[in-house]
Formats: sequence, C-alpha cells, structure tokens
Amino acid sequence: MLKNIQEWVLLLGIFGITALIGNWAGYDILPLAAIPGMITLIVICLAGFILKEVIPVNFPSIAYISIIGVIVSMPWFPGSEKVVEWTSKVELLALATPILAYAGIAIGRSWTDFVKLGWKTIVVATLVMLGTFLGSAVIAELILRVQGII
Amino acid sequence: MEGNENSLSGIWKDWRLHAIVLGIVVVTELIGTFKIPVGPGVILLLPMLYALVIGLGFYFTPVVKEKQSKNAEPIIVLGVSLLLAKIGVIIGPSLPEVIAAGPALLLQELGNLGTILIALPVAIWLGLKREAVGMTHSIGREPNVGLIMDKFGINSPEGRGVMAMYIFGTVFGAVFLGLISGLLATLTPLSPLSFAMASGVGSGSMMAAASGSLIAAFPELESQIVAFSGASNLLSLSTGLWVSIFIGLPLTEKIYARMTRNREGY
Repeated sequence: MLKNIQEWVLLLGIFGITALIGNWAGYDILPLAAIPGMITLIVICLAGFILKEVIPVNFPSIAYISIIGVIVSMPWFPGSEKVVEWTSKVELLALATPILAYAGIAIGRSWTDFVKLGWKTIVVATLVMLGTFLGSAVIAELILRVQGII
Repeated sequence: MEGNENSLSGIWKDWRLHAIVLGIVVVTELIGTFKIPVGPGVILLLPMLYALVIGLGFYFTPVVKEKQSKNAEPIIVLGVSLLLAKIGVIIGPSLPEVIAAGPALLLQELGNLGTILIALPVAIWLGLKREAVGMTHSIGREPNVGLIMDKFGINSPEGRGVMAMYIFGTVFGAVFLGLISGLLATLTPLSPLSFAMASGVGSGSMMAAASGSLIAAFPELESQIVAFSGASNLLSLSTGLWVSIFIGLPLTEKIYARMTRNREGY
C-alpha cells in the first residue's frame, strides 16, 4: 500500500509537471500560479486511489475521484472557494494533451491490428461512433428543450 | 484492459518516455488550436490531437521502444484520473445546474442505441455476418468487450466484431470525436450543450477530445460543457454496461434476426 502510494505520487507528479509546462506554453499560466491547483487535483486523485484500496467494494477509483472532486468544490464545503480558485488555474485542455501524447505512444502497439481491420469494418465502426454521438445529442436536445433549459 | 496496479512499479523511472511526452506537449501547445472553416461549421484541430498523432508517429521511430509504449498505458489511467478530478471541481459549484439537467443526462444514455439503428443496417448491407452484432451493439469499450467475450467467447465472430470496434475506438476514437464534435456543433442547429452530453461516451480520452473541441468553439460555455460532458461520462461508465445487457444487445439481436431472415431463407 505504501509502495503503491509512493508510485502514484511520483507518476502523478511527473504527469503534473508536464501538464503545468503545457499549461504555460499553451495558456500563458505561469507554473508557479498553477502549482496549488495541480497539488489539489493530485491529492483528490490520491484520496480516490486510497479509498478504492481501503473500501472492499468493487467501485472504480475514477468514480471515487469524480465524487470527491464534486464534494470538495461544493459551496458548503469548507475551503471550497480555494479549491475552485486554485484549480481554475489548471486548464482542462492542458491536462488532456499529455494524456493523448501518452495514448499515442501506447496505441502504436494496436496499429498493426488497426490496419488489418479492412474497409468495411472501418465504415461500420465510423457509423457506430457517429450513431452514438448523434443519438445522444438528439435525445439530450429534445429533453433540454422540453425542460426549457436551452 | 490489461493495466493492473502492480504494473505501475518503476514506470516513473522511464525518463525517456516522460521526456518524449514533455517535448510533444510543449511543441503541440505552442502550435495551438487551428480552426478550419467547413461551410458554416468549423473543424477544430487541438493540441491534444496533434499530440496523439505525433505520439503514434514516434512509436514507429527508434526513439520509442516497445518498453515506452507498454509503460505509457497505465499512465493514461493516471492522467485521466487527474482530468476527472478537474472535471469534478468544475461540476461541484454548478451541481444544481447539472441536477436540473438530470432527465436529459439520464435519457441521452439511450442515445448509444443510435448506433444500432444507423450502423447495424449498413453492416448487414455490407455483408458482415455475426461480427456485426459484436460491432454495433455498443461503442465497444472495455465493459462491452467483457460482455461479448463472456457471452460468445473470444474466438466467436461476435468477439472478433467487438474487438475490431475496440481497436478502432482506441486508435481513432478520440481523433474522430474531436474532429466531428466541433463541426457538428457549429453546423447543426443542435445546442453545444446537447453535444456536451453526447461527449461522455465512457472513455476519458474520447470525452476530452470531443468536449475539448466544443470548448474551443464555444469558450463562453466552457464550465457548462465540462460539467455536462463530465457528468454524462460518469453516467456512461456506471450505466453503459446495463444499457448494453438489457437493451443494446437484445435489440441488436432482434434487428439482426429480422434483417437477415429473408436473405438466409429461413
């Protein structure tokens, strides 16, 4: 457990530093200004990972992390203003770029399988993605309009 | 799919990997976002999309070895965790808004069935057989792969179908959704918020790409877009499998049976 925490901290730290530099290069936010926000996010992640290890229920750590993030930023939570203020300095897109850079390197190994798929499969798979995306958007649009939200 | 916690050990020491990623991030963020007008719509090219493509490109050079590619995989999970923490703290302050949009959030999960109505007929028309059931019953992420494997086995045609979808999604999903979400949101009369909900398909990188494009196209709606796509992604993760088991797969089977009945002459 302690060994795991150490690995998580190191890796989240490395990822965080990369994201902070990207945050600077792409969004002109100085790393120094964004460090408190990044540390806050890392602590939330660690809390989620630890909860998953401690609580003997098959509930994914990412769900814990999302829920903790929501709770600590709700207005009634002590210190939530600071959480919101600090984390607002870490751009969402700056977190996404390193994820996809790692993903690109990782999916190289799936590439040989990918090129073997054949054109029919590619056509159908494209329609699957499009179908899901449009299907969800159309339903959401209908309900949001009925509710008068948009 | 294979990532387990123990495989993390020592990955932090893979400096070659982290240095490559840092290099990619700095270069792509400095390049910034490009907007390509397509009629009245816009295709957005975001740094994260270049990062994916450049990362993939590096895989085929001697710079990235098999080891780096293997080590990169579990780090994606950690990165997505940070992303979800960030989304969490955006949802928190706007939770009343998210709850108000609850009915739309819940019901749009059924939009995944759109794939069966659009993709399954085309698959059958193209001559795919039982593979089509595996491919089109859902968007084919990890839980769906598990479901099909469990029901039909790894070497079944259905299993091959869902694996094909999984591979396609892994390699091309984020790029594809990133490109079409901004375009569709600027081209169609549907609201960006509806597309935000649709962005939460149950995969962190696909959601990031799809909602990232929306944010770049509609910066004034950023926090709402993030809150809706994040909440929808969370719902997809928790309900997606059940929608597949109780609605998606049975419906796919039914339509498949009906559409192939005449051809196979039962």
